[in-house]
Amino acid sequence: MVDFEFSEDEIRFRDSVREFAKRYIEPKWIEIDDQGKIPMELIKKIADQGLFAIPVPEEYGGMGGTMVMAALAVEEIAYHDPAVAIAVYTLLQNGWPLALALFGQEEAKMEILPKVASGDAFFGIGSTEPQGGSDVAGNKTVAKKVGDKWVISGEKAFISGVREIQELPEGGGFFLVAKTEKPGWSHTRITDFAVLPKWNGKIREEWKPTVYEEIGRHGLSTGGFTLENFEVDDKYRIGEVNKGFYLVLQGFNIARILVAAATIGSARWALDKAKEWLTTRKLFQGRPIASFEGVSFRYAELYTKVEAAKYFVYKAAWMTDNTYLTKSPRFKPQDLNLPVAMAKMMGPTTATEVYTEVLKWFGAYGYTKECSAHRGWLGTFSYTIGAEGAQNIMKYIIARDTLGSDAVRNVWVKEE
Amino acid sequence: MKVLVAVKLTYDINQLKFEKDGTPLLDACPRVMGEADKCAMEEAARIKDAGKAEEVVALTVGSSKEHQRILKDAYAMGATKAVAIKVNDPDNLSALTIATIIASFIKKTGPYDMILLGSGAGDTHSSVVGPMVASLLNMPLLANADRVKVEEDDITIVSTLEDGQYKFRSRTPAVVTVTSEANEPRIPTIRDILRSKKKPIDEISPEDLGVELSKVDLVDVKRYEVPRKRVKIDATDNVEEAVDQLIKALEQEGVI
Ligand SMILES: Cc1cc2nc3c(=O)[nH]c(=O)nc-3n(C[C@H](O)[C@H](O)[C@H](O)COP(=O)(O)OP(=O)(O)OC[C@H]3O[C@@H](n4cnc5c(N)ncnc54)[C@H](O)[C@@H]3O)c2cc1C
Repeated sequence: MVDFEFSEDEIRFRDSVREFAKRYIEPKWIEIDDQGKIPMELIKKIADQGLFAIPVPEEYGGMGGTMVMAALAVEEIAYHDPAVAIAVYTLLQNGWPLALALFGQEEAKMEILPKVASGDAFFGIGSTEPQGGSDVAGNKTVAKKVGDKWVISGEKAFISGVREIQELPEGGGFFLVAKTEKPGWSHTRITDFAVLPKWNGKIREEWKPTVYEEIGRHGLSTGGFTLENFEVDDKYRIGEVNKGFYLVLQGFNIARILVAAATIGSARWALDKAKEWLTTRKLFQGRPIASFEGVSFRYAELYTKVEAAKYFVYKAAWMTDNTYLTKSPRFKPQDLNLPVAMAKMMGPTTATEVYTEVLKWFGAYGYTKECSAHRGWLGTFSYTIGAEGAQNIMKYIIARDTLGSDAVRNVWVKEE
Repeated sequence: MKVLVAVKLTYDINQLKFEKDGTPLLDACPRVMGEADKCAMEEAARIKDAGKAEEVVALTVGSSKEHQRILKDAYAMGATKAVAIKVNDPDNLSALTIATIIASFIKKTGPYDMILLGSGAGDTHSSVVGPMVASLLNMPLLANADRVKVEEDDITIVSTLEDGQYKFRSRTPAVVTVTSEANEPRIPTIRDILRSKKKPIDEISPEDLGVELSKVDLVDVKRYEVPRKRVKIDATDNVEEAVDQLIKALEQEGVI
């Protein structure tokens, strides 16, 4: 039986996040976007509220919640931080910790996850490299087994959280994707690691970070780094050797749902702002501009798209819970590819479509810095470019899983 | 100390919408724990956190799913026990009946050192249940607290009256009503929320308390109305004159 209602727990939780975000995030989001930094006290506050590691089991310090709850939390935070820096920080601290909880080794999980949940450490994703993020199998960073340790060398680019791990008391690191033993295009020679460039408060010298200047979402940093003979204990290996490609793609599925949730929260805010404006700004002898069909029909279309995108997200989150948390035998990890790619394609695209219209509705005021809508526009736009996968890659996945992989094969599959 | 907090299921006035003629759309409005009741619950939780109370009992009159939900919210905020009084139509009970039920519950399950209630509910805002409970129990009443301080068996509140702030003090046991200014209620964390759903909610009927519902006078609320008056002042030609008129009008209304 189809049931489109959230459970009582989910509603109570969503309302609690809404209240929290209204009280502690909404008054600060513009200042955070201007200053380019989420204050450490706010990160701690979000952690104390239990908004990191929501779907991670309690034995690892997580909240024992669900992906549906994580999606609701990220959406609510993004509504109150439409520039989405805080929302994205939060989503990274839910998605990748869950991936570590699902695929990592016991000792590493026990060591890392409680510190992420408490807000003292960051755990993100280190996949993209300078030569191109879409082609994960083409990554060049290499992990070599030397004795009982791994030695990793290579370069990563456009990685969220590079500055934050340097500033957090504990530090943190990334779910890092590396070629096993030698470079060359391959998905069967990839292994994942929990790489912690700063841990127990100490920064490792084999890690050289840089931080980029971006056009939006300023509160959260994106940077690059090199690893030079960076030694990693085998306990930090995530999953089996050479199975890393398939595991990181599952991690991407989890994180993509939450990225879509963030962009939808931001888009909802933009539509609500627009509604206030469209119903009160009066032109042509006192008619609210909402009364002109050129405006109201477009509003109707966008409202509908946001609603549709929301349900893509909730469904994908619900499937993820069934797949990984309640482990229903009816769901397999690969079944998530299609619904998740649709959610990730819909969310950011819809949000930027909403913003391009909303900015126009605000007229010249929309083009001023005083009107804060541009912050949401620039923030959500980053997720059409990339972050957990470019839009074209989502379309590739959707086409592959519907038309069949033989029909749409457009990438090399010859192992090097 | 043993503390009792009485909480009411009421409309979330922040989400209340109105018809054109001013009729509130109550059926469409979500219901939550009253704002001042939440502050009362927060005071109780703080007293418990400070190690001054071991037991915080949350009580509500009504046992529907929504009533149970606000009791779970009370658990999530720090209650140690929750009780729902089983009555069919709690919204139609008079304030005196509600107060009688609460007082009877206190007599039966007490003694309590402190009874906390919100100073008024968002819907009816009669502000009489607290005073009635105090009177039925023959206990001192500290009403409309903007601040509450508890030391040993001594309670001090600060209350804002028309001509300034007053401090009132009483020995325990006492009834304290708390305004929505008293504190910023905590927002339950996800762990609090998930744990609270597993906690038991006791159900007690008015008969168990010796309150006969047949004696209860039912109130039939036909309509809630917000009296509104529209005064239009034309400021097109002379803004200064319009400002003077506006000030005069506000003075006449006793607003300023
Ligand atoms: C704000 C932000 C934060 C980020 N944070 C992280 C992070 O924390 N960790 C991380 O690992 N990465 C992160 N990224 C990187 C992101 O994942 C990549 O940008 C993304 O995977 C795309 O890679 P690319 O930018 O190198 O573009 P490329 O892969 O070079 O692609 C360039 C263009 O070509 C298109 N294209 C590529 N291949 C195909 C194809 N087969 N068919 C059709 N079109 C194709 C793409 O859609 C894109 O438009 C972040 C990016 C941004 C913008």
